[in-house]
Amino acid sequence: MFRMIQIAGALAMLTCVTGFGQEKAQPLETGTFHGKVHNTSGRATIYKEADGRLLLRLTNFKTSNGPDVHVVLIAAKDADDDANFLKSSTEKLELGALKGNEGDQNYAIPAGTDLKKFQTVSIYCERFNANFGAAPLEKF
Amino acid sequence: MTIPASQWWLRWKWTLVAVCLPILVALWWAFRPEKLWINEKVNEAAPFDTSGGPQPILTGRFEGKAQQTSGRATIYKTPGGEEYLRLSDFTAPNAPDAHVLLGRGEGDLDRIDLGPLKSNQGDQNYDLPQATDLSKYNIVVIYSGQSHAVFGLAKFEPF
Repeated sequence: MFRMIQIAGALAMLTCVTGFGQEKAQPLETGTFHGKVHNTSGRATIYKEADGRLLLRLTNFKTSNGPDVHVVLIAAKDADDDANFLKSSTEKLELGALKGNEGDQNYAIPAGTDLKKFQTVSIYCERFNANFGAAPLEKF
Repeated sequence: MTIPASQWWLRWKWTLVAVCLPILVALWWAFRPEKLWINEKVNEAAPFDTSGGPQPILTGRFEGKAQQTSGRATIYKTPGGEEYLRLSDFTAPNAPDAHVLLGRGEGDLDRIDLGPLKSNQGDQNYDLPQATDLSKYNIVVIYSGQSHAVFGLAKFEPF
């Protein structure tokens, strides 16, 4: 019986501790977009949420509207305007279709993504293989 | 004998339509020209709690000038409306008389002294004087009075 109470107590303390330890999302990395050809600007920030999930958030964001535009992470330090990642065989990680060409928006980053490798966010036109804008990320 | 234009058109119009229409549709699909004028606006909220606690409002990375300085400078705003500067991930050369200044541009000497650099390494906070106009004072300078040298400079951009 005493053991049961002990275990229950330990569990209660554990939930308390984890509850208190539950912090808000922390920004890990951030950077600003550059892209003259397609007028891309704004900020990209990668957050680590309290449960460990990674999230990309675009703020003050603006780019030109276009066909089949996606948000990708690329394994490069930066990217030039209209860069073709297929030709340069730059590895990219798809985060989803661009939700809007203006405004704040969130994208989930797959678990286990190596942020040391994928250092840049690109707004990428898949149809024409052209980089609309890139935001090199640096430690927040 | 040449066929009059009107007859030629009558004879070939459906063939022309059958050939041209798919081409036009394909071109439209590929380029989506209407998107030049149509904007898609979104406004997603952060999926996590941003209320309470200081929020970053401006941030920038240091660039070393005379000597190697690196790290990040961020202006936070507390829920009470106070603003402070936080240096993080920070490294600067060790000098006895280094100060943290807010400036209005690289050449502009109108600067606000936030105090001596607390340490040449590590995270540190500096209070801003009340009513500092951050739209004007948009850079942080690590300045050595003794050698009159700018050790490092960070430009703020909205967070």
